[in-house]
Amino acid sequence: MKKNKIAGKIIRIILLIIFLIFALFPLYWIVLTSLKPTYELYTFPIKYWTINPTFYGYKKLFEFVNFKQYFSNSIFVSFLASFISTIFAMLSGYVLSRKEFKGRYAVILFLFFSQMIPSYLIMVPQYVMFSNFHLINKLISIVIVYSGFGAAFSTIMAKGFFDRIPKSIEEAALIDGCNEIQSLFKITIPLMLPGLSAILSFSFVNNWNELFTAVMFLNTSNKYTVPVGLYSIVSKAGIQWNVLAAGIVVALLPTIIVFAAAQKYIIAGLTQGSLKD
Amino acid sequence: MKHNRFILFMLLPTLLLISFIILYPTISGVLLSFKNYSVFNFGNIKWIGMENFKEIFGDIFYMDVVWNTIKWIFFSVIFQLLFGFILALLMKEPFKGRGLYAGLVFYPWAISGFAIGLIWSWLLNGQFGVINDILIKLGFIKEGFNFLSDPTLAMFSVILVNVWYGIPFFAIMILAALQSIPNSLYEAAEIDGAGYFTKLFKITIPYIKPTLINTILLRVIWVMNFPDIIYGMTRGGPAGSTEILSVKMINTVFYESNYSKAAAHGVIIVLILLIYTIMYLKLTSKKEFSL
Amino acid sequence: MKKFIVFISLLLVALFAFSEETITLNLVEAFSSPWRTPTLNKIIEMFETLNPGVKINVISPPYETAYQKINLMVSTEQPLDIVEIGDWNLSTLAAMGKLEDLTPYINSWPEKNDLIDGILEAASIYHNTPYLLPHGLFAKALFYRPDVLKKYGFNDYPKTMKELYDMGKKLTESGKNQYGFAFRGKGYPTSFIDAVVTSFFDDIDPNNMYLTKSGKIVFEDPRAVEALTFYVNIYKDTSPKDSINWGWDEQVNAFVSGITPLLFQDPDTTGMLNEMLKPGQYKTAPLPVGISGKAYPSFGFVGWGIPTYSKHKDLAWKFIKFVSSAEINGYWSKAYGALPILKSVYKYDSYFSSYIFEGWTKMFEDKKHYQFTQYPLDNENWGKWNEFQEKTMQQVLLGKLSVVRCLKEWTDFWKKAGIK
Repeated sequence: MKKNKIAGKIIRIILLIIFLIFALFPLYWIVLTSLKPTYELYTFPIKYWTINPTFYGYKKLFEFVNFKQYFSNSIFVSFLASFISTIFAMLSGYVLSRKEFKGRYAVILFLFFSQMIPSYLIMVPQYVMFSNFHLINKLISIVIVYSGFGAAFSTIMAKGFFDRIPKSIEEAALIDGCNEIQSLFKITIPLMLPGLSAILSFSFVNNWNELFTAVMFLNTSNKYTVPVGLYSIVSKAGIQWNVLAAGIVVALLPTIIVFAAAQKYIIAGLTQGSLKD
Repeated sequence: MKHNRFILFMLLPTLLLISFIILYPTISGVLLSFKNYSVFNFGNIKWIGMENFKEIFGDIFYMDVVWNTIKWIFFSVIFQLLFGFILALLMKEPFKGRGLYAGLVFYPWAISGFAIGLIWSWLLNGQFGVINDILIKLGFIKEGFNFLSDPTLAMFSVILVNVWYGIPFFAIMILAALQSIPNSLYEAAEIDGAGYFTKLFKITIPYIKPTLINTILLRVIWVMNFPDIIYGMTRGGPAGSTEILSVKMINTVFYESNYSKAAAHGVIIVLILLIYTIMYLKLTSKKEFSL
Repeated sequence: MKKFIVFISLLLVALFAFSEETITLNLVEAFSSPWRTPTLNKIIEMFETLNPGVKINVISPPYETAYQKINLMVSTEQPLDIVEIGDWNLSTLAAMGKLEDLTPYINSWPEKNDLIDGILEAASIYHNTPYLLPHGLFAKALFYRPDVLKKYGFNDYPKTMKELYDMGKKLTESGKNQYGFAFRGKGYPTSFIDAVVTSFFDDIDPNNMYLTKSGKIVFEDPRAVEALTFYVNIYKDTSPKDSINWGWDEQVNAFVSGITPLLFQDPDTTGMLNEMLKPGQYKTAPLPVGISGKAYPSFGFVGWGIPTYSKHKDLAWKFIKFVSSAEINGYWSKAYGALPILKSVYKYDSYFSSYIFEGWTKMFEDKKHYQFTQYPLDNENWGKWNEFQEKTMQQVLLGKLSVVRCLKEWTDFWKKAGIK
């Protein structure tokens, strides 16, 4: 019996390590490439180490590619849009979880339907619509789009979280004389905070990486977001890999920070069900 | 009455926003698919009925594209699910440094799709690709695999990358669901002398089934509409062996500048997904979603 | 809503009042890159200093999406005054009817006579009208690595396609990961295929690469069978199998690392090569000639145009004229790697007569063996052709389609497309 447990533990550790290597290997290559001088990028035989590490890639990234500006644009857009969609999702997810009403099923189907739409089906209509509103080349336009795309998915998630919070808690509050809105904000939402941060971080990651809409709607380089900036390193005459790799590393930082900060909540937030016991 | 107004008030922001951003453009997109909106026709845009669809279905390669799409979705999602599930099981019990481990093992989810495609097409290159180099150095093979130029390997390669990218999503969702299983269930089973696999199939899987069903449903929809990796790695080649519907749609815009035909491709994609969703829900016999 | 309208109109009035003092021109780039765009910005700075009251606002969409974005912007009449147009989307934009005919401007331009021969004609591919003034030229030349060739006992570059093949075959030692030719299989391989195929002909129409002088489609000529078979053999015998999936980046990667020391590419490739290789480590040569003793390179070009709806056309032309002057064009081409459009630039700037540009200068001088021709870029099916040719060519390389069948499909394509 005990032997089995130890064997199980070893297998578990080995598997955990395999998963980690599989996930990390490309990251190692990206970081290494970002530190290589240009003339070492394409050397053969392949070098798994560089004796001439340089910050040239990072320097170019901030000098030529104006990455600082893209970065702050992306922070602004991603956070604002994630907040908007999370708040909207909180309201609608609550109703979908708690209320029985006509058309509820239709609303949920509608949310799933909105996930099915491929980008090129709506590209031209969206572009024409936004250009009629004079919203081309404005950061606010992609905030609106991201909020809309995020709201659907976030509502589906939020509904799931609300489903896991026992109704009895709210009912108790109602008996104590709170009205519905009060009980929502005073009782349910505090319980939902972990779940909400999970939703927020998911939409943050999605918004942070969105390329397609940003490329179409933003024109001037002072409005670009990080993915557009990264994409513009790919030119007719090639890709300067060390600069692109440096860009990917820098772009990863906020999402890794958000993941790390939220991972406690992501895991805990989705486990509200344990309250049911 | 007041009750209904409350519901409306709470739903309205989301529904209005989605209608404005997605529903309205979708309707005009569908209308677009029955026109001849391409850059060569700007002065003369008109209704052409089913012409775009006829042209699409008249393409001798089209059924290959559909078949590729099925392979792409099926194997991507199956393996993302399988490995995501295993990873979640491994991470279920707390261990020292689990937070850091999670951050590192989940990061592929945080890279943008086009960058993933570029990096992996470099890693998998037949001549100067790192993967081949390592395999040769380890003595597994003598000459590099043609990961992206051999038609049978190419589909395997792009799916491999998609699995790499998609494991974290499943792992996170399943991990969360796993942690909501009351410990008392396991304890009761242990008293009855249940082994690891008995517990897995009798308790764990049935308990997280709703999460699995919904996550798979969402993921299939997303993978269908995720051309980024394939576009970055092979553009659908060699000889169309990795061309899926969404890549075909992009190519219609990039090569032909024919927005109406691209919209028609989009309409077909949505129809397929709708049929799939309805069938899927029938088969899993669920009337209600809960995530 | 009312407040909003009032606010917008106030804003418009304010903008209008402001614009009395400075005029802002909007310019969109098609071939942006982190290394080219800063040069453009410097040129614009010079222009703005010389023309107080004028500001130029640059839009630089990522290269791979640029054509789509420009199409959308122009078709919805987004404020634009200067549009960079590549040869491959000229017809698309011109067909919209939203490009200004530049004839009157060019005719009044003193430097018109300094333009390289044939360039204006090349730029007038759509309805014989110059809808753009080119600012850079591209043509494929042979890049080679003397250091690698020397190791295998070759002291000179291949002069004919046959020599290219033989040399490539001798170099190829797949066990050592050494190959000959950097083959292009993905992402617009058109010009690579056609450079080889047409070299088996001696009667290509100077106005259309896909027609012989007698008006026959080249792909239905028996010589095409021999030519395409030869091209397939180059792939099979001198190139890595993997190159069926190679685009620009992989080609150049393999060239720089020495895996494939022979490469056909455009002059803007020199930019990255100069950074990655030591001087003299690579050289350029004319394209190898075929069994006909000839080769048919084609001009690729990129230039500036003016949208018909621009409100500042004269000012836009003033800017175009400025960047097209010998001085600026030389500076621009050097930074960017395209070939200058003015004859005088080649004379006064020694960079363009250096060994790096030997391949092109030799081709330009040798009119007997190198006859420049054009693609049917004005044909509506040109875009579709690129996708079709890439796909069918890959099928041939994989042995899924025979050369003969493939040529028949290509012939049928162009017959249906109504090639003229």
